[in-house]
Amino acid sequence: MKTKARKDNIRKRNKIEEKYSWDRMNDADEERRSHSKRAIIASIIVLAIFTTYVFKLYQVQVSDYEYYAIKSESNRIRIRPVQALRGNIYDRNGQILAKNVSTFDLIIKKERIKNDDVFLNTVNTVLPKNKIDLVSIKEQLTNRKIKEVTLIPNINLEEYSIISVDKHLLPEMELSPKAKREYLHPFSTSHILGYLGKVSDSDIYSDVVKIQEGMTEIGKLGVERFYQNILSGESGYEKLETDALGEIIRTIETKDPRRGDDIYLTIDIDLQNYIYTLMENKEGSVIVMNPNNGEVLALVSAPGYDINLFTKSISSKNYNKLLNDPRKPMINRAINGQYPPGSTLKPFIGLIALEEGIVDSKKLVSCTGAYLLNNHKRPFKCWKKEGHGSTDLSYALTQSCDVFFYRIAELTGIDIISDKINKYGFGQKTYIDLYNESKGLVPDRDWKYKIKQQPWFPGETLNVGIGQGYFLVTPLQLTLATSTLATAGKTYTPHLLKQIRDSKTDRMDVYDYQDNKFITNYPNLDYLDIVHHAMWRVTNERGVGTASQMKKIRNIEIAGKTGTAQVYSLDKGKTDIKNLQDHALFISYAPFENPKIVVTVIVEHGGGGSSTAAPIARDVIEFYVNTKEELFSKNE
Amino acid sequence: MSEFIGDSQRHYNGISSVLKIDAKIFIAILLITFLGLVTIYSSSSGDLSLVIKQATRIVIGIFTMIFIAQVHPDNLRLFAPFLYFITFVLLVAVLFFGVGNTADRWLDLFFFRFQPSELMKIFVPLMVAYYYSNKPLPPKSAYLLIASLIVLVPVLMIMKQPDLGTALLIGMSGAIAILLAGISLKFFLASSLTIILLAPVLWMNMHDYQKQRVLTFFNPESDPMGAGYHLLQSKIALGSGGFFGKGLFNGTQSKLGFVPEHSTDFIFTAFGEEFGFLGVLLLLSLYLFIALRGLSISVKATDNFGRILSGTLSLTLFLYVIVNVGMVIGFLPVVGAPLPFMSYGGTSMVTLFATVGIIMSIKSHQRILRK
Repeated sequence: MKTKARKDNIRKRNKIEEKYSWDRMNDADEERRSHSKRAIIASIIVLAIFTTYVFKLYQVQVSDYEYYAIKSESNRIRIRPVQALRGNIYDRNGQILAKNVSTFDLIIKKERIKNDDVFLNTVNTVLPKNKIDLVSIKEQLTNRKIKEVTLIPNINLEEYSIISVDKHLLPEMELSPKAKREYLHPFSTSHILGYLGKVSDSDIYSDVVKIQEGMTEIGKLGVERFYQNILSGESGYEKLETDALGEIIRTIETKDPRRGDDIYLTIDIDLQNYIYTLMENKEGSVIVMNPNNGEVLALVSAPGYDINLFTKSISSKNYNKLLNDPRKPMINRAINGQYPPGSTLKPFIGLIALEEGIVDSKKLVSCTGAYLLNNHKRPFKCWKKEGHGSTDLSYALTQSCDVFFYRIAELTGIDIISDKINKYGFGQKTYIDLYNESKGLVPDRDWKYKIKQQPWFPGETLNVGIGQGYFLVTPLQLTLATSTLATAGKTYTPHLLKQIRDSKTDRMDVYDYQDNKFITNYPNLDYLDIVHHAMWRVTNERGVGTASQMKKIRNIEIAGKTGTAQVYSLDKGKTDIKNLQDHALFISYAPFENPKIVVTVIVEHGGGGSSTAAPIARDVIEFYVNTKEELFSKNE
Repeated sequence: MSEFIGDSQRHYNGISSVLKIDAKIFIAILLITFLGLVTIYSSSSGDLSLVIKQATRIVIGIFTMIFIAQVHPDNLRLFAPFLYFITFVLLVAVLFFGVGNTADRWLDLFFFRFQPSELMKIFVPLMVAYYYSNKPLPPKSAYLLIASLIVLVPVLMIMKQPDLGTALLIGMSGAIAILLAGISLKFFLASSLTIILLAPVLWMNMHDYQKQRVLTFFNPESDPMGAGYHLLQSKIALGSGGFFGKGLFNGTQSKLGFVPEHSTDFIFTAFGEEFGFLGVLLLLSLYLFIALRGLSISVKATDNFGRILSGTLSLTLFLYVIVNVGMVIGFLPVVGAPLPFMSYGGTSMVTLFATVGIIMSIKSHQRILRK
């Protein structure tokens, strides 16, 4: 039984084994071979992958090494430009006009702002509303070029201490030190100095200014613009290693910036300020120049404006206010104001007539209060209705007789006048060291035809003869023309730069005025003397000279010429509207014998030259003589 | 019939035979861990505390390896279903009680936190090997179905955690096990095709950040500061390393934070930047050596269980390397897989040493069989 059962058992097991083919399928050798085969295939695959990977790594690390090495460097190296401190601007006596003061901006680094909307909300609640410009902050947030947002520029420490009470609400705020331009006489020097502004596209494409890496502010107008490249110095840089978040790890290399050179102007700030106070409530311009070297001692354009407002971007509100101000403070009247010269042109017309042989010192013209020209129904009036009677050139200039000049202008003719008048500098830039100077206008036949498509009418020559009509001058042109009279034709281009102090060596580089002569040919000095004498009479011949009513300045004698430029035809009757009043002009030089200064005064709608402009010139000269007593006593 | 003539360890001499470990593999691993420590030290700018922590893990790992090497493969086979099942339960637990910030894959067991998915990296191949060990080979399709379930169920659960990287790694190691077990090529191709057809389903179940990674993989330059940033910076770091490398402590890319995770997933990049192509070649060769030696051990193994298990684990180790390095050189999407024995991290270091321990155990407990 036992054996049978065992046999059954074996048979059963064999059946199962047969069923599952244990013998064949579970054969150890068979399985081993099968596995070995697969292991070899696996090894081949592993080797293939290994080779592929090594090949790829070779590509990246060896073949493309240069490419990635450069990428790696530019990844971590940041070049941060360091702006140079701008040079100061001084007046001729070393009084400071423009300097840099260190201030703080309240800023926040952009990477620390997590959510713009939440941030703006917090800013709005934490910071005083009158101090922040949300529009500008939003702009800064969206501008991807800007790394930090300026919340409050030029914050003072008092304001900051108030804000810092709530600092926990906006903990990322920080104070960032900035150099700020400060002008010590912002109104009186506004048109000389100009101002700084953010670098704009027009600056980048400009040929006259050099844009440096990292430069944020640039001179926009005035001397700040003209001497931008000298004042700005040279930016330095810091080569920094930064991590992936842009945080600075260390400084690899630095190049210190070169501080901008200081500039000394020819301006006498005391004189400038004095004139500005005289002019403050007027519109117009006063220029004081030394005709012997072209140094501009004062250049006032009234009204001025606060150039300190422009430091750290002027708000659009303030800017529009300035632009729309009816007094037009932003126009530099000294170089851009174009006025009819009125009677101040007469000395030059007289000289041309003399030189052309039209008149001599003795030739008389009868003035009956009006001059009749052929074919003209209306007579050309003299300012003195009753007329001057028989006048020679000297008397005509002293009295500013219009009829005399109508007559000689008619005799000289527009062609000669327009040709010869250029030698005094009219109709062209004076090339003072300021940009965008106006040229004025010397009208002639070509111009008339080109602009008006009309022939030149004889009556227009008469108008030019008394400085009216199309003829336009800038105050600076008038100053230069007067200088040619004062120096017998040997004057110099007006300039504002006196010297430059090298920021490294402290050496002074003095402006060489000799290089910029302005020569006017006076073929006969006797003719010039006639005019000189007449201009002396204007201020000194009591009761005759149009400006002779002025108080004398001790022993200084002034020569001058008044002018009243018509803005509105008197034919239409008297008017009280200010904008229709005449411009008051006065050109002068002093002392008469040995001129040291030329003073030009133009007061817009000021009325008469003798009543408004001449007294200002007189006061200016007096102030100058008093403050520079040594200068005048030495030579007398 | 085969005849048992004794344990092969008798033929070994020296300490390695006493400890039942494979000296060659062990030395290769020690070299790799050493390079890892150096890289961690360098890219953390000399933070010794990280090095000490990692070294501690390595020591723990080595002890784990030696301990497991003592365990007879037969015992492993005995416990395989149990280990698999326990870990499976833990995976379920993770889904309900997991901790962690974005991807809930950690299980907090009060005294220590660990990832059950990490254990599955061993237990899935172990279970497959167990399952096939007493089946006639090549296996029938019915067995394949069950084997596939052994692999796929935990894989899907880990994917749900969501840990796509680990899930794919485990899935692939399961596939390797099934392949080594002797599946026919025809069948393999068919199932591969199925997986490809299933890809859209996978895609739809993926999280947005996972989808983003895959998309970035196909076009990394499209968004250099966004998702493709990691890959691009990784390539820059590797490339700028050049042939000889920038030298120790000079890996600016990794040190300055341009390379993310320079001590964990992207440690290969940090290493490659400082040690160059030469260093990278050495490192990859060490991995290659381990894989090939593991395969040769599997060839010499006495039974199917040993063959499948050691072969699978060796290939899986190499697979991890392929996935990690492929990720940093742009061959594969950034999935978040550590580089074996190098990446800074706890659980993976210990499981990797355990993996090697199993391979060594299979080698040391070979029975010499003779007809």
